[in-house]
Amino acid sequence: MENNEKIMSSEESLKIISDMINRTKTNIREASFHLLFWGWLIVVCSLSEYLLYTLTSMENPWLAWLLTIPGVFVSLIYGFVKGSKQTVYTYADRLYMWSWLGFLFAAIILFVFLGFEKRMYAVGPYILMLAAFPTFLSGVIIKFRPLIFGGISIWILSLVCFFAGPSIGPLAVPAAMITGYLIPGYMIKNNGFKNDTV
Amino acid sequence: MTRYKELDPLLHSQLRLAVMSVLMNSESAEFTFIKEQTGATAGNLSIQITKLKEAGYIKVQKKFRGNYPQTLCRITQLGRERFEAYVDSLRDYIK
Repeated sequence: MENNEKIMSSEESLKIISDMINRTKTNIREASFHLLFWGWLIVVCSLSEYLLYTLTSMENPWLAWLLTIPGVFVSLIYGFVKGSKQTVYTYADRLYMWSWLGFLFAAIILFVFLGFEKRMYAVGPYILMLAAFPTFLSGVIIKFRPLIFGGISIWILSLVCFFAGPSIGPLAVPAAMITGYLIPGYMIKNNGFKNDTV
Repeated sequence: MTRYKELDPLLHSQLRLAVMSVLMNSESAEFTFIKEQTGATAGNLSIQITKLKEAGYIKVQKKFRGNYPQTLCRITQLGRERFEAYVDSLRDYIK
């Protein structure tokens, strides 16, 4: 783009505008890391808790969830390193980042409340209800239907988790991670998704 | 007879329009990113960015990332308004 003083037609101007806007659309391929990392981490935590609860006489099987604490640091460090290398920062990037950080703050408060009331065993449906929101919102921001449906599936599975009872209910958590995080996460990772696919 | 609005001469130029379009969609963009997207040379891009900055359409901030200089560009409210007016005028031409 060198001959910048050349006379342009209206169509040429509009083409430049549309090309440039398309090039700066949020590329959330990096986001697949968080979806896959958290998807697998929660699958491991929730299945460990379930197995400890059903197969052992351990008093506090929810302790398996403590694995999420180093997970938060891994996620924050990854986000910080990637963010510091980013050469463009779109409004969608900001909204995307803050919707997940908002979820993190809400999850910490939830853990404080349930820990204080000694009801950590009941964390499943509440954490799913919270996790569904940034998932759904992210899908809307980047116009990616699998993530939108993923968010909806997490909401539905939070109800299953709450009402299905202690023998089956906890399995709704890993199921929600598969439909809400892992499937969309692998789709984004494998397709090099940009938010103009829908 | 239809009276067409005059197109903003500062925006009616390939490279400056491309720069403004990138910035309309971004909160901030680095000089290197704009150069990559527009395919312009550093010298030419620098001249056009200075023109946009002098007109008050964009803000340019020089920073350091580690040991490397970084030039961050952002669109101003005036720039946003002029860009929107430019697009409106283009629509009139196309109608």
